[in-house]
Amino acid sequence: MPKRIIYYVPILLIIVLSVFFYFSLSNDTSKISSPIIGKPLPEFSLPSLLAGKSNVRSEELNEEGTFILNVWASWCVPCRAEHDILMVLNNLHDVKLYGLNYKDKPSEAVNFINKLGNPFKNIGVDQSGRTAIDLGVYGVPETFIIRDGKVIYKHIGPIHMSELDEIIVPILKDSR
Amino acid sequence: MNNIISLSGNLLLIICLATSILQSLNLFTTNSYTNNNVKLFSTIQFTCIALAFLILIFLFTQSNFGFELVTFHSHSEKPFLYKISGAWGNHEGSLLLWILILTLFNFLYSLSAERDKLYKNKVTAIQSILIIGFVLFSIALSNPFALNESPQSEGLGLNPILQDPLLAIHPPILYFGYVGFSLVFSLAVAGLLTSNINNVWAETVKSWTFLAWTFLTAGIALGSYWAYYELGWGGYWFWDPVENASLMPWLAATALIHCVVVLQKKNTMQSWTVLLAIITFSLSLMGTFLVRSGVLNSVHTFASDPGRGLYILSFLFLVLITSFTIYALKSDGIDKENSYSLVSRDAGIMVNNWVLITILFIVFLGTIYPLFTDLVLNTSLTVGPSYYVMTITPVIIILLLFMIISPLVNWTAGKLSNVIVKMRYVLISSLTLVLILSLYFYLFSLTELAIIFLCIILILTSVSSGIIYSRNNIIITPSLGRTLSHSGFGLLLLAIVSNAVYSEEKIFDAKVGDTLKLSDNTFKFEKINQFEKQNYNSIQAIFYLMDNNKQVEKFSPEIRFYNDPPTITSETSIVHRLFEDIYIVMNVTQATNSISVRIHVKPFMTFLWIGVILIILGGVLSVFIKNKKINA
Repeated sequence: MPKRIIYYVPILLIIVLSVFFYFSLSNDTSKISSPIIGKPLPEFSLPSLLAGKSNVRSEELNEEGTFILNVWASWCVPCRAEHDILMVLNNLHDVKLYGLNYKDKPSEAVNFINKLGNPFKNIGVDQSGRTAIDLGVYGVPETFIIRDGKVIYKHIGPIHMSELDEIIVPILKDSR
Repeated sequence: MNNIISLSGNLLLIICLATSILQSLNLFTTNSYTNNNVKLFSTIQFTCIALAFLILIFLFTQSNFGFELVTFHSHSEKPFLYKISGAWGNHEGSLLLWILILTLFNFLYSLSAERDKLYKNKVTAIQSILIIGFVLFSIALSNPFALNESPQSEGLGLNPILQDPLLAIHPPILYFGYVGFSLVFSLAVAGLLTSNINNVWAETVKSWTFLAWTFLTAGIALGSYWAYYELGWGGYWFWDPVENASLMPWLAATALIHCVVVLQKKNTMQSWTVLLAIITFSLSLMGTFLVRSGVLNSVHTFASDPGRGLYILSFLFLVLITSFTIYALKSDGIDKENSYSLVSRDAGIMVNNWVLITILFIVFLGTIYPLFTDLVLNTSLTVGPSYYVMTITPVIIILLLFMIISPLVNWTAGKLSNVIVKMRYVLISSLTLVLILSLYFYLFSLTELAIIFLCIILILTSVSSGIIYSRNNIIITPSLGRTLSHSGFGLLLLAIVSNAVYSEEKIFDAKVGDTLKLSDNTFKFEKINQFEKQNYNSIQAIFYLMDNNKQVEKFSPEIRFYNDPPTITSETSIVHRLFEDIYIVMNVTQATNSISVRIHVKPFMTFLWIGVILIILGGVLSVFIKNKKINA
């Protein structure tokens, strides 16, 4: 009976689809986007946005200890929302937080910092976006956590309050 | 105190679980005497979940930050309405809502008059199995009554984008549709088990199917309207995976409602109808899996947790495998022998069934393909709207063609020449109308003209079949439901096409006092207001649409700065006019002396929503209209 076989086709499809979904489930989409994880930061030396500070160099962040590098720009709306969170992070926790000012007008970036406060130890100016390419930055904001010369976490998009508590702070605490 | 509340919430869930297990055992009984239990069990299930849901709402209104869910999704300064809607604006709460509707449908069905008691036992048993699956999930992996380790003084708020009255009612209505198909599924599987899929079965199924379909349509429409005015991107449908997840069951359900009518009238297409009933609910379940497992990346997705994903996937797998195996074993031979004519209404409906399934397949591929490349090829990509537009447009033309012809043909056998004779006035008037339109608007794209032409014919033929004017009397025929839905669909497509062709948008840098021009419209930038509200600060720009130095319409786009969580949203200002919507959005910029605004002129948007409302009204009517059986 050829007709009967057709009735079993849906079952086969379900099995195939379920297996496919099962593997999709364990497939962490964030891992693909960050080939940089586990490696040191690529080499860069960027002029500082802040008057009287020395260049921000990759060696500085690749030293022993935990560092956070936040990629931001004054024209980026989510960065504005994220800024308060960075201020909280800087006030409550003892972290070495660095900024990477991405494709921005220095005058507007300085304005942004003057108005909203500066959570960063130092800010590198990446006007051409070259360093961001090396870092594999998709868009702003993005945040890297570097420990003992290795990138251990990359956060795409703004950090929300809940993510600060659930993801970022546990990673920072882990180091002590 | 919180311990007691948490305990009683969980207890209610457990009582519901126990009752559902008892009721599911009815699947194996062969006598029909247990029927009194059916009503009792269904009532207990529904009451328990309704109480649990009320407790959850109460916790949200009290801003009880002893509970994890309230802490993460509410805030003491949130407006009262959004405290309530916060209860289902998250994974755990919406799951409880989902269960509430499952039990509600079981309860409603248990009250309905069903002659075959044994069949009723089976239906409620299957529905109870579904309830068991979801209640277990709720208790073990998504407990809405989980307590915080230490009580918090303040909550983490709700995404301000979600603080919107439409969005507060969108999920309940959408779920009512989604979950309504669970009962249709149970009716279908029970029908297979007791081998009584026939026109009597179709009559029972028909009202439930139309009910669920109407709510699903309304739910999708509300979501789309929300996206249109809240997100401020100028669109109403984005082919987002989560939108697709609701569109897929809708497409299957639309095919299903037509088949149910055919089955009821002509006692034919049994196995196909049952298959569609199973597929529709399977797609609802799959949508739930896609949205809640974190497999898809979308603005809609809930916080992901691999354990939850695995649970839903396993449950989905079990339900699908069991139901399709039952289908494979039982459906052979349920089709009644029937004389088939190539030119008949059911043949036309069958063609459009295939067209709908084709569209479903296109949407399915577009949704799954990025997952596939991500998994197999290790590259991330998104499938854009152009894929859907290109592939669906030709299929839509076939759909329209058969939507026009099928209702004009007899149920048994007809002649195509009769159809053309019936349509002669409509054909001539539509042709003239399209000719005038194309010359007036310089429209020369063949596809657009074809769709516009077919839409106009569809509207005219639908209206003329539903409302007949004879001997100075206006007669409303029993097919009024179809008339409304089909002409609504014509209007909807007409609006979509002309909207796609004639929409205009432009970005301006504007200072107070500036005059902006977009095509024939002149706008004046009047002033800027700043004010503080309960949980946000706002910057508002005031624009006027000018007509000969008179202020015709006022626009007040806004940018809101929410405090908790710190978020910025842009509030669109829309003015609906008869033939076009005008839409002003403010962008956030750094410049201090001017603001950046985007102005959209979107023609026929009003008709688009009227079309949708007509479709929904047609569905509502069809729930209540009883069809006559045709002896073939």
